Amino acid sequence: MIAVKGRKVNTITNGIIDNGIVLIEDGKIKKIGADVKVPDGVKTIKAKYVMPGLVEAHCHIGIWEETIGWAGSDGNERTEPATPHVRALDGIKANADEGGLQAALHEGITTAQVLPGSANVIGGHGVALKTTPKTTVDQMLIKNPSGMKIAFGENPMRVYGVEAKKMPATRMGVAGVLREWLQKTKNYMEKMERFKDEPEKQPEYDIKLEALVPVVKKEIPFRAHAHRADDVATAIRVCEEFDVNMSWEHATEGHRIADYIAEKKIPAVWGPSLTSRGKWEMRELSYETPLALYDAGVKFSIQTDAVGSTIRFLPICAALSVKEGLPYDYALKAITIIPAEIIGVGDRVGSLEVGKDADLRLLSGDPLDIMTKCQKVIINGEVVHSL
Amino acid sequence: MIALTNGNINTITNGVIKRGTILIDKGKIIDVGQNVKIPKNAEEINLRGKWVTPGLVEAHCHIGIWEEAIGWAGRDGNEATDPITPQVRALDGIKANADEGGLTAAYENGITTVQILPGSANVIGGTGVVIKTAPKNTVDEMLILNPSGMKAAFGENPMSVYGKNKVLPATRMGEAGIMREWLYKAKTYMEKKEQFKDKPEKLPEKDLKLEALIPVLKGEIPMRVHAHRADDVAIAIRICEEFGVNMSWEHATEGHRIAKYIAEKGIPAVWGPGLNWRTKWETRERTFETVKNLVDAGVKVALQTDADNGKIGFLPISAALAIRDGLSEEEAWKTITINPAEILGVGDRVGSIEKGKDADLRITKGDPLDPRSQVRMVFIDGELVFSR
Repeated sequence: MIAVKGRKVNTITNGIIDNGIVLIEDGKIKKIGADVKVPDGVKTIKAKYVMPGLVEAHCHIGIWEETIGWAGSDGNERTEPATPHVRALDGIKANADEGGLQAALHEGITTAQVLPGSANVIGGHGVALKTTPKTTVDQMLIKNPSGMKIAFGENPMRVYGVEAKKMPATRMGVAGVLREWLQKTKNYMEKMERFKDEPEKQPEYDIKLEALVPVVKKEIPFRAHAHRADDVATAIRVCEEFDVNMSWEHATEGHRIADYIAEKKIPAVWGPSLTSRGKWEMRELSYETPLALYDAGVKFSIQTDAVGSTIRFLPICAALSVKEGLPYDYALKAITIIPAEIIGVGDRVGSLEVGKDADLRLLSGDPLDIMTKCQKVIINGEVVHSL
Repeated sequence: MIALTNGNINTITNGVIKRGTILIDKGKIIDVGQNVKIPKNAEEINLRGKWVTPGLVEAHCHIGIWEEAIGWAGRDGNEATDPITPQVRALDGIKANADEGGLTAAYENGITTVQILPGSANVIGGTGVVIKTAPKNTVDEMLILNPSGMKAAFGENPMSVYGKNKVLPATRMGEAGIMREWLYKAKTYMEKKEQFKDKPEKLPEKDLKLEALIPVLKGEIPMRVHAHRADDVAIAIRICEEFGVNMSWEHATEGHRIAKYIAEKGIPAVWGPGLNWRTKWETRERTFETVKNLVDAGVKVALQTDADNGKIGFLPISAALAIRDGLSEEEAWKTITINPAEILGVGDRVGSIEKGKDADLRITKGDPLDPRSQVRMVFIDGELVFSR
C-alpha cells in the first residue's frame, strides 16, 4: 500500500481536491479524498499536482522504432491494400530503451493505443497497452485487439495508385476495396453459420476474413484514418451500409463537418498538430478545430500520432488548443478520460476514481504549463519513473 | 414563403411570362404567373425586370471528383487499375466542401443540378450521382439521385490506358468483348439469384461487382456511354440491344454523322464539351453545328461541359454558341434545363419553372444567355445560395 498526497488532486471526472490523498492497494485506487486516513507505516509520496496518467488514443510508438530506419519500421505492411490479418502487437518493440515508449513513460502517458499505419485501406489490428517497461509487449496489454485500422484519402492512393499502379488509385477505389472485404467477410460468416452443423461444408479457415469478423460483429470498431471531411463522410457511408462502428482518426477537417459527426455520434481523435502540414489533405490543420468540435458536441480526444519521442508533447497539444479557445477542463479530458473511453478502457484508466487502475502522474505544477515537470509516474500502483 | 415579383420568367416548358411572379414555399414552386395573389406572410423580392430561368442542369461533369488545382491527391475520377470497376461509386470520390473550385463555380453561375460521373479510363467505370450544388458539409446531403447511371466507355481512352500496358482492351473489339463478358456474368449471376432465391445454399456468393450491374440489366439505371465517334456509339447500341439495357450517348462528337440512327433508336445525347480544343483524334470533328443536326433529327439533346473544375460555369456560353450555329433559342434553352433533367431521371423535380417543382432558380440582370449578363441571385430548394 502507498499513499500519494497532492496539494491539488485533479480527478478529471469529479473535480479537483485540495490537499487530497490517493490511497493505492494492489495496483488499484482504494480511496481518494481530502479526509482519507493514511494507515500507519504506509509510505506517502507528496507532489504539488496529481492527476491520472495521460492516455494517447492514436500513436505508433514501438512499432516505428525511433532512429533505426527500415529495420525498425514495422508500421505499414504496404505490400497489399487489405491486410486485416496483421497485428500491431506483432510489431511492437517493448524494451525499456525504445525511444517512444520511454518518452511516453517519462511524460506520464501511461496508456496508449498503438495502431498500424495508413498505407493500406485495411491495415490490421491495433492494441492498447500500458507504457510500463516490460520484457514483452504481451505483459503490457490492456486491450487486444482494440480496433481495426482502415485508411482513406491520400496515403492508400499514393502507395497503391501512384507508386504501384494498383487499386486503389482513387477515393472511389478505396471505398471499393473496403466494401469488397466487408462483403467477403459477411459471406464467410453467413456460410460458417449456415453450415455450423455440417463442418465439412464450412469454408476453410481464412485468416484475413477471421480478423474482420469482430468488426462485423461490432466487437471492435474501425479506426478510420481520414483528414478530409469528404473522406470521413465516405467512411461513415460504408460503415452505415455494413452496420459497423468507427472512430475518426486525425479529423483534420473536423471544423468542416463537426455537426454531422456529432449527429452520427462518432468519436474523433484529433491530431497530430505539432507538425507541419505534410500533405494537401492536411492543409487546414489548425488549433481552432478542437474548439469547433467541442462547440458541436463531438466527443474527441487529442493525439500526437507519435512515432518515437514526440509522444511527450501530448500535453502541449492540449495547451495549444486551450490557447485557441478550447475550455481548459475539456482539454485535460481530451488527453485522459475521453481517449480512454474511445479505446474501450474507460472503466480502468483515464480518471482518479476508486476501483480504477492506480496510474498517476505527479507534477511540479499546472499540467498545461510548458515549464511543469513530470516528477513521478505510477502505473498499476508501482512507481515506474522518478526524477 | 417568398414571392419573386416583376421577373421576366422563362419557364422553359410553358413559354415566357413577362413581369410575372413566382411563389416559393418549403423549397418548392407553389405558383407562377402574371396574376399570382401574394399572401400576406410572403417575403417579397422585387426583381425589377430581371430574368428568371430554372437553375441550369449539367448532365455530365466531374466537378468535386477531379478537384481543381490539387494534382494527384484530388484526382478521384478514374480508378484506372482495372478495366471493369462497376463497384466503385462517384459518390465516394466527391469533395463537397464549399470551397471546391468546380462546385463553387457551378452554384455561383446558377448551375443547380449536376450529374457527376466517373471518368472514361475503364470500359465499365462505376456509378454516377445527381446532386444539387448548394454547399453542404457532405455529398450525402446534396444527393437527389444515386446511382444515376453506370459509366461505360468506348474508343481511345480505355484502349490507351490498357492496351498501352499490353492488357485487354487494346482494341475496339476488346472493349466490346470485355463489356459483353461482364454483362453476361452479371446476367448469369442475377438469374441464379432469382432461380435459387428459396434455396439459400445454392445462391451464388454476393459479389459487389456483379451486384452493381444488376440495376443496369433490370433497366433501373442506364449506361452512360462515353463515345466520340459514330462507330463507337454504334457498338454501344449493339451491345445494349443484345442485353436489353438503356443508354445515353455521352459526348456525341460525331453526332452529325449518325443523328438519324440515334433518333430512331430513341437514345438521348449529351453533347460536349464544346469549349475545348480537339485533344485527340476521335474529337477532330467537333463543331457546335452538331447540336443542331442532332436536334433536327429528333434526338433529345443536352449540352455538357465535361468540367472537372471552374469551367462548368461556361455551360450557358455553350448554349449561346449552339444558337450562333443555327439552333433555335427555344431548343437551346431545353438543352441546358429540361432535357438534361429528363435524361438524368430528375425531370419531375428540376429543369423548368412549374408548380410543384423544386424552387431552383437562376436570376440574371439582362439576357441570361448573354455572356455579359451577371448572375444576381441563385435559389436552390427555395434558399438563396448566392447573390451579388
